Amino acid sequence: MELNEQQAGGVTVLQVKGRIDSTTAPMLGERLTAMLGAAKARVVVDFSQLDYISSAGFRILLLAAKRADQTTSKLVLCGVSGKVRQLFDLGGFLDLFTIAPTREEGIAAAG
Amino acid sequence: MRKPRGVIYGVDERPPAAVIALSALQHVGVMAIFLIYPVLIGREAGGGPDIIGNLVSISLIVLAVGTVLQALPRGPVGSGFLCQPVPTAIYLVPSLLAARTGGLPLVFGMTIFAGLVEMALSRALRALRPLFPPEVAGLVVALIGVATGVVAIRIALGVGAQNAADSSDMIAAAVTLATMVALNVWTGGALRLSCVLIGMIAGYATAAALGSLGAAGWQTLSATPWFAVPRLNELGWNFDAALIVPFAVAAVAAILKTVGNVTTSQKLNDADWVRPDMTSISRGVLADGLATTLAGAAGTSGVNSASGNVGLANATGVLSRHVAYGVAAILLVLAIFPKLGVVFFVMPGSVAGTSLLFAGAFIFVNGLEIMTSRLLDARKTFVIGFAFMGGLAVDLLPHAFDGAPGWLKPLLGSSLVLGPVSALLLNAVFRLGIRNVQKLMVDPAQPDGAAIEQFMETHGASWGARREVIDRATFNLTQSIETIVESCDPQGPLEIEATFDEFNLDLRVSYVGPPIELPERRPSNEEIMESEDGQRKLAGFMLRRHADRVAATHRAGRSTILFHFDH
Repeated sequence: MELNEQQAGGVTVLQVKGRIDSTTAPMLGERLTAMLGAAKARVVVDFSQLDYISSAGFRILLLAAKRADQTTSKLVLCGVSGKVRQLFDLGGFLDLFTIAPTREEGIAAAG
Repeated sequence: MRKPRGVIYGVDERPPAAVIALSALQHVGVMAIFLIYPVLIGREAGGGPDIIGNLVSISLIVLAVGTVLQALPRGPVGSGFLCQPVPTAIYLVPSLLAARTGGLPLVFGMTIFAGLVEMALSRALRALRPLFPPEVAGLVVALIGVATGVVAIRIALGVGAQNAADSSDMIAAAVTLATMVALNVWTGGALRLSCVLIGMIAGYATAAALGSLGAAGWQTLSATPWFAVPRLNELGWNFDAALIVPFAVAAVAAILKTVGNVTTSQKLNDADWVRPDMTSISRGVLADGLATTLAGAAGTSGVNSASGNVGLANATGVLSRHVAYGVAAILLVLAIFPKLGVVFFVMPGSVAGTSLLFAGAFIFVNGLEIMTSRLLDARKTFVIGFAFMGGLAVDLLPHAFDGAPGWLKPLLGSSLVLGPVSALLLNAVFRLGIRNVQKLMVDPAQPDGAAIEQFMETHGASWGARREVIDRATFNLTQSIETIVESCDPQGPLEIEATFDEFNLDLRVSYVGPPIELPERRPSNEEIMESEDGQRKLAGFMLRRHADRVAATHRAGRSTILFHFDH
């Protein structure tokens, strides 16, 4: 898994590339915890280059959403498509997160 | 069967009489283009206008009977679809050979033989099913689309004809095509339903206004009688063993084309289509063979299911089999009132060719869709790529095979013979060495998710499995291994076995250790967040939901999970 962080008008965009499984999920968890640690943080996680996400990855996302609530931050996911979207649907996660179709729309939704 | 978007009347629906009449007229307009083949064969045999006129009338009767036979929804004969026959280029090459060597009686006798070959092989299609996987059926459909397009452009531009198309013809062609496309894309209802007929009328009117209808057409019209009783089998039949091979090869190509056309018809009528239904295909090939046998018996050349008409039905969204009965009625009327039919037969090439080109576009794209509905590995790439290019070579380089030995000529004369037969042979060769059971051992100390994905991807492509099923199976395999490694402390390697046939994909994951939980209820978000146990329950829930069936056993310390996926 590769994580790339960028700033876009006060919004932090984290692009996740590759696979989120039980080996890589803790690394993503640590990064998201740090990003959402400050009050009123605005974070977009771009999944457009994600190949696979397991239950370990979904757990990390739930914990990140909870953290965002605690710090009144905003967490938006984008680029959730194809087989990854199917997994979000399968696990009942599509309605639990704010999901934007594109990175630009994600930044707009977070900002 | 769920009706796809864009279909106005599905195969089982009965449209209003006016829609049936309009649709049937359009179909007859497209079918009439192919009546040139019996005319060419009659000329080759030295037949005069009377003989050739009768050949056309007999063809019309055979097409009427064949159209109804193909549409029959019950009984042993007929695919049940609007998939009518037309005189075909597939039988043209061997029929011209027969006409030259033994006259029309030999054409008729050998046509009966070819029809019987089709009928006999139709019964064996189910057993031969591995030889006709969807990608081969799709290739045949795509080649039919290309061949239709090539014939269409040839007719529209008068390539090889005495008079090549001039600017008036090109304007008429452009008006015809633009009218059809514009009505199809930007209108709905009655205008879209009749886009081909309106395009033909617009093209005819343009050709008449620009003076490009030609005197020959008017002369033919005035010389044709209003009423004539077709004379069945007036010349008798003959048989020549030397022509068995070319007619048998043509019969196999005709079968493949019918397989492609019926497959397309199935797909057009069913939004949830996943694979060819061999029962309907087998009945369709039997109807096609019966129509060709009847053609020979009644005294005309061979027929084959019409891709142009399948494309037309696709374009207009009217797929109802009731249209077939309307088509048959019009064909019978034209057979006994020849003057009415002349309006179709003397249709300017610019109008006839562009009508065919319009239908060809739909056929070609349908073929691509069928081919790419499956994962394609190197073997299948070669099957499709080589066969497609071989077929194209015949159309693009007609003299490319002039130096080939005589016995090979029947195979090399038409893209619709060389392409499908090459695909058939290449597919049979490349099936060698493909095992339907594949095994993988996974070391729990170093589970490599990417390698596990590659295992499914590689074998899914060699099996020609559907992408969606392989994606689901890949997730289940990866997620189950991850869960087992994380929570079951497996002793020794995990044994993976993947078994595939066209209808089923089964994954078996076996290891020494306690079983994983596969709950039917999704754990709550709190449970998932609270502990890794909640995360494991989520994994089990997703594994259960993603497969069509799951089973887990635990015996003598060894656990086995079975995931079944319908294919």
